[in-house]
Order: sequence, then C-alpha cells, then structure tokens
Amino acid sequence: MVTELLQRTLDGALDGAGYALVGLGLTLSFGTLKRLNLAYGAVAMLAAYVGAWLHARHGVPGWAVALVLVGAATVLGLYVEWLCFAGARAGTAEAMRGGAPVAGADAREVVALAASFAVWMQLEQLAHHLLPRELNAFPALASDGEWALDALVLRPDRALLALLALALCLGLARWLETSRGGLAWRAAASQRTAAQLAGVEVARVQRIGFAAACGLSGLAAFAVLAMDGQVTPMFGMWVLVKGLVAAMLGGLGSMRGVLAGGLLLGMVEANAQAAFGALGREFATWALLLAVLLAPWRRVGFNRMPAHV
Amino acid sequence: MSEHAVGVATDMAVMALLALSAYLLLLVGRISFGQQAFFGIGAYASALASAVAQWPLVAALAAGTLAGALASLLVAWPMLRLSGLHYAVATLAFAEMLRIALSAWVWQPGGTGPAGVEGFRDIRWLLENDVSAGAYLALVAAVLVTVLAALAWLERRRLGTALRGIGHDDTLAAAQGLPVARLRLVAAGAAGALAALGGGLYAHRATYIEPALFDPMLGVHAVGYALIGGLGSALGPLLGVALDLGLLEATRAFAGWRMVVFGGLVALFLRWRPRGLLDEPLVHRIGRAVATWRRLAPAAPRAEAAG
Repeated sequence: MVTELLQRTLDGALDGAGYALVGLGLTLSFGTLKRLNLAYGAVAMLAAYVGAWLHARHGVPGWAVALVLVGAATVLGLYVEWLCFAGARAGTAEAMRGGAPVAGADAREVVALAASFAVWMQLEQLAHHLLPRELNAFPALASDGEWALDALVLRPDRALLALLALALCLGLARWLETSRGGLAWRAAASQRTAAQLAGVEVARVQRIGFAAACGLSGLAAFAVLAMDGQVTPMFGMWVLVKGLVAAMLGGLGSMRGVLAGGLLLGMVEANAQAAFGALGREFATWALLLAVLLAPWRRVGFNRMPAHV
Repeated sequence: MSEHAVGVATDMAVMALLALSAYLLLLVGRISFGQQAFFGIGAYASALASAVAQWPLVAALAAGTLAGALASLLVAWPMLRLSGLHYAVATLAFAEMLRIALSAWVWQPGGTGPAGVEGFRDIRWLLENDVSAGAYLALVAAVLVTVLAALAWLERRRLGTALRGIGHDDTLAAAQGLPVARLRLVAAGAAGALAALGGGLYAHRATYIEPALFDPMLGVHAVGYALIGGLGSALGPLLGVALDLGLLEATRAFAGWRMVVFGGLVALFLRWRPRGLLDEPLVHRIGRAVATWRRLAPAAPRAEAAG
C-alpha cells in the first residue's frame, strides 16, 4: 500500500519533471516580456513536426532532429516575437515618457494574448499541412531497462529526463543570478527604464531572451517526444497547458518555481488518477491551478517579480 | 434563403451572443477565456428544462439564461481581486473543470438527459412543435437585435459610461467614487446571461450537445471576435463574427488555409489597431459624421435655393 503510493508519487514526479521542462521556456518568456505567449505550445509542436517530417521522409538521425527542433523553435520564436510582442517592447518608450501603465488588464496585455492566440492557430494548421496524420513517428530514445530499488522501480531513460529538467532549471536560475548576461536580463525584466538608462540594450536582451525561451521549448519537446516515439496534433495544447500550470504554480517568471510547480503537478495528477481515473487527473490539474490562484494566502510566487529567479 | 444559408446565419447569431458576452467583460478591462462554460451551462440547463422537464421553449431559454447569470456571478465573485492575466487563466481553469465535470455527469430520468462524454441527445422541442429552420432563425435574430438594442441603450446611460471608465483605468474610476467591484460583478453577471442565452439557442437548434463542444477554442474565438471587430461599439463583435464565419468559413475560398491566412491577418491587424476595427475613435468619428450630415441634409436644398 505504502509502496504503491510511493511508486505512484515517484512516477508522478518523473512526469512532473517533463512538465517543468516544457514550462521552463514559458516562464522564461513571461519573465522577459511580462506577457504570456499563447503560441508557445504551437511553436514547440510545429518544430516537432518539422523534425518528425525530416525523420520520416529523409531518415534524419535522432541527434540531428534534436538540433532541428531547437533551431526551428528559435526561428519560429523570433517570428512570434516580431508579430505579437513588438508592441510590448514599444512599451519601453512609453514608460520612459513617464506614462503609467493602466491597472488591470492593460490594453497591450490583452492584445498580446489575442495576437499570440491567432498565431497559435496559424502554426497549428501549418503543422497539420506538413503531416496530416493523427500519429507521426518520432525518433524514439526510450529504453526498456529498469532499475529496482527495494520494491520501487525506476526507468533510467525517464530518470535522465528528470535530471535534464533539474539541470536546466537550476542551471538557468543560477546563470541568471550570477552572470553578467543574467544581470542584464534581470534588469531589463524588472525595470526597463532604469536598465535602458544604465546602458542595457533592453530590446536586444528581450529579443534574445524570447528566442532562447522558444529554443528551450524545442529542446523540451524533443526530450518529451523521444520518450513516446510519436507526436500527435494534441501536442501543442499539451505543452501549453502543462507548461502553463507548472509555471503558474511556481510563480510565472521563476525558474526554480517552475521546477517545483511541475513536480507538484505531476505528483498530484498521478495520485488523482489512481483515485478518480483519467477524468479525475484532468480535473485535478485545473483544480490545483484554480486553488493556487484563489488561495487567500499569497505566498506562492506568482505575486513576485521575476527578479527572484 | 437556402438551408445552408439559414444554418450559417443562425450559427452566426448564436456566436454573436457569445462574442458579446466576451465584449462586455473586455469593456470592464477583463479578458475571459472561460465564457464557453456559461454557454455550456445555458445549453445544458435549457435542454434539461425543455427535454426532461417538458417546459416550453421560452421558459427553458429563460431558465438557462438565469442559470448562466447566477453561475457567472458566483464564479466572478472570488475572482474579483485577480489581475488581468490571472483572471484570464482562472476563468479558463473554471471552464475546463466544468467541461470535465459534465463529461462525468450521467443523469437520465425518463430516458433522456446528459450522458457524460456521450453528450445530451434528443433535445427535440423544435421538431416536436414543428418550428422550421427559418422561423427559428427569426427568433434568434430577434433575440440578438433585442440584446443589441439593450446594449446601445446602456452605452448612453451612466452605467455604460461607468463600465467603460473601469475598463480604461480602474484606479481612476474608484477615485471618482465608482463601486468598481460591484460594477464588475454586474458586467460578469450580464456576460454570463448572454453566453447562456446563446448556449440555450444553440442546444435547441443542434438537438445534441456534448461537453467537448465547450472547449477553450470556443471561448477564445469569442474573445477573438470581439477584439477583431472592435471594442468601440456593440456592433464590433458582430463584425468579427461576420468576418470569420460569414466571409472566411462560408465562402470556403481558403479551405485548409483559413487559419493560416486569418491568424496572420489578425496578428498583423492587432499590431496597428489594438482595439479592433470599430474602435472608440472610429465610432466617435462616425457618430459625428452622422450628426453633421443630419444637420446639413435639410440645409442643402436651402443653400441651393439661395445659390
């Protein structure tokens, strides 16, 4: 009984590492621009489709597919940034003139949400044209081996995925805290005007941050899909929803937060599935998010500024 | 009108109601990705009333609308203090929870009713009472025109101005003594009622509803229509619906590439016109042009006579 619970929670945590991995890019792009990129999942999906297409039609090997995914996602990220979020950067000039942002849902936030949604639809249909089938083969890296520890079993490939998530989240957080580039990023994220005056090229830092976030989504997509060996049209939505919930649980814009949020989400989902079935798992995802958003105590990080990575 | 055209027109009117509900919330500065939940509540509640409880159509629609308004008030109340993005995500979370709960709900007294993911079949009031598609379109259009008239009337009242004021800057509005929280609740209640009314009308035309219909795509489209059409007037959301459903989908000229073209256009568009086609300055300019024309129109013959 206890072993079962432990095994379930362990499996959930491993799933959760995948959520953290896909949420990392989302939280980085939010931290950069203070805007939610709804096209995030679609970018990862179209990049994955390009990779799957190359793999299926031209027999491109797995490692090259990983590079293609990262490259394609970065390029698509630049496109999304140019189309949807250039207005967010124009906000810098406005802030310098001393115009206070309007409280509540300011117009630019709403516009960026709507524009990135439209691009989401666009990219998803492009992916559909590329590979119209429901199931598409993806280079598989999963192994059948199992490590047993007492009664608990652990698959090494999934442990590797969790390690990758751990390393990326903690490494990125550490880099942002200690390096010069990270300092510029934090300055641009928390005080655009002051950063610009201090000599940080805010627009450039933001564009790089956004493109890097999308590149990360390509890497995350490769790692997650290589476990399954296939990609379906649901992948874009999956990336966005799981990534968003993980990122919001940990506080949007926080790199360590997304790791904690992903793990928490994975463990809650696994136990909800055991108790209430597949629908219960889905329900638990949203209930957890709503509970965190509405919680009367506001200790969970979403209030904080992303200067706290 | 052909059968297909009647169908498209009815769908457009129903979607317009949902788009108007998103529009009402956008007016008070809220973006909701969860209006599909109240559309679904209206659909299920009015279908239960007409197909299970055997109520007449109008009473069933009224019950659905009321259920939507109450649900929306109950949901909006704890979300009052959330800021823009968090509100958007919280409404989405609620809508998804409702969709999943409906997927698990089986309740069929007397043979018909919601059957989980299988959906709710045999909402046959229109068939049993011999209402033709054309007559139903007339009913839906009448409802839509009534709603538009009510919104146009509201825009000219102090309540309408207050709602726009909150959307523009809620701190300023509060400083002027407006009860911001209460007005946002009013807007949320009205938005829930409009969405539920649309849902009830949809359910009776389709005769079959299922939880999967009320997915996030539906709610996000509603917000998209309001934003494309414009926030300057209640006709804006209608314009958005007409552009997407009327022009792009119905003509099928872009079959398969519709979203590629439309998505790109919308994003480009929003860069230069963040409050939609019919934004406030344009509505104001049109209003002024009409007023000038009215003043000058009787004067023109006189000027001619003098010349």
